[in-house]
Amino acid sequence: MIIVQFLLIGAFLFLFYVAIRSRTAHGVSASKKLLFLLLMAVLVVAVLAPNLVTEAANLVGVGRGTDLVLYLMAVSFGFYVVNDYLRGQDNRQQLHRLARRIAVLEALERYHIAHRDETDPGPAPSDD
Amino acid sequence: MSDVAFVVPVYNEASVIGDVITEIRAVTPYVVCVNDGSRDGSAAAIVRAGGYLVDHPINMGQGAALQTGIEFARALPQIQRFVTFDADGQHLVADAVRMLKLLEEGDLDIVLGSRFLGEVIGAGRSKRVLLKAAVKFSNVTSGIRLTDAHNGLRAFNRHVAETMEITAPDMTHASEIIELIAANSYRYREMPVTIRYTDYSTSKGQASVNAVNIAVDTLLRRVTRQ
Repeated sequence: MIIVQFLLIGAFLFLFYVAIRSRTAHGVSASKKLLFLLLMAVLVVAVLAPNLVTEAANLVGVGRGTDLVLYLMAVSFGFYVVNDYLRGQDNRQQLHRLARRIAVLEALERYHIAHRDETDPGPAPSDD
Repeated sequence: MSDVAFVVPVYNEASVIGDVITEIRAVTPYVVCVNDGSRDGSAAAIVRAGGYLVDHPINMGQGAALQTGIEFARALPQIQRFVTFDADGQHLVADAVRMLKLLEEGDLDIVLGSRFLGEVIGAGRSKRVLLKAAVKFSNVTSGIRLTDAHNGLRAFNRHVAETMEITAPDMTHASEIIELIAANSYRYREMPVTIRYTDYSTSKGQASVNAVNIAVDTLLRRVTRQ
């Protein structure tokens, strides 16, 4: 095995290990994990057998294997960017709701304004 | 007018916010100032001038500040009418009072201020051209016909305040509010208002390049919302 193959495969395996081990990965959907596993496997094969990639490229009408890899990379990068953007928006919205709630509650308290929480079922009915 | 609350988003406006609050307090004691993580003495200036201080723990943008102010104001049971008002002194309280009157008399849900029906003081030619283009864009994307898409002066009733849910944090919120008018079928009308473009408000206002951001965000919202 030549050195670059050794290094690349090592890097892919490490990435995969980190992704699987990560505590925050519990929230990631199984389909995304499988997709990532598949991607790593394909990359390992591509490193070990570059001629297979070229054959696959020829099958879909692309001349060189490196071109096929480049196109696939461009597409996955696009997906990554969109996914990351949408997740960022969700996170921001959650953060803003939380910060807003704090600001409003704090202000209501500062001005001694009686308020009823929208999620508060209200006072329990008394027996008498 | 003890049933009216003015909602004023404040970001680093310590030098002018006091005067703005004083002007508003001549018509209503309910001046809700949302301090959006200012790094100057805005919060202290708000308290000194007698405004209600609602303090964002972090900077979240003008749209987010408006939503916060509306949520605080609608928690006050006596408030039936709401006004959004800029902190930099470019709006006239007298215009807001006229809009509130129209809101009542016209049996409307929301009245929007328009610079182009009114008077524009001190705006450069390029700014006018850009604002007109923004109006065209907004009319096409929202389906609501207006003469001014990005005016911060608005008056609306409790129904609007309770259904208003601005999610756009930054300057895009103006377009979002127009989309909400269309989506919720609010009864709306525009009213000519005067904008004072002072050196201060011009330097604090948005850069014209920001129009690109607003356009892209508006289109993205249409794409990502089903």
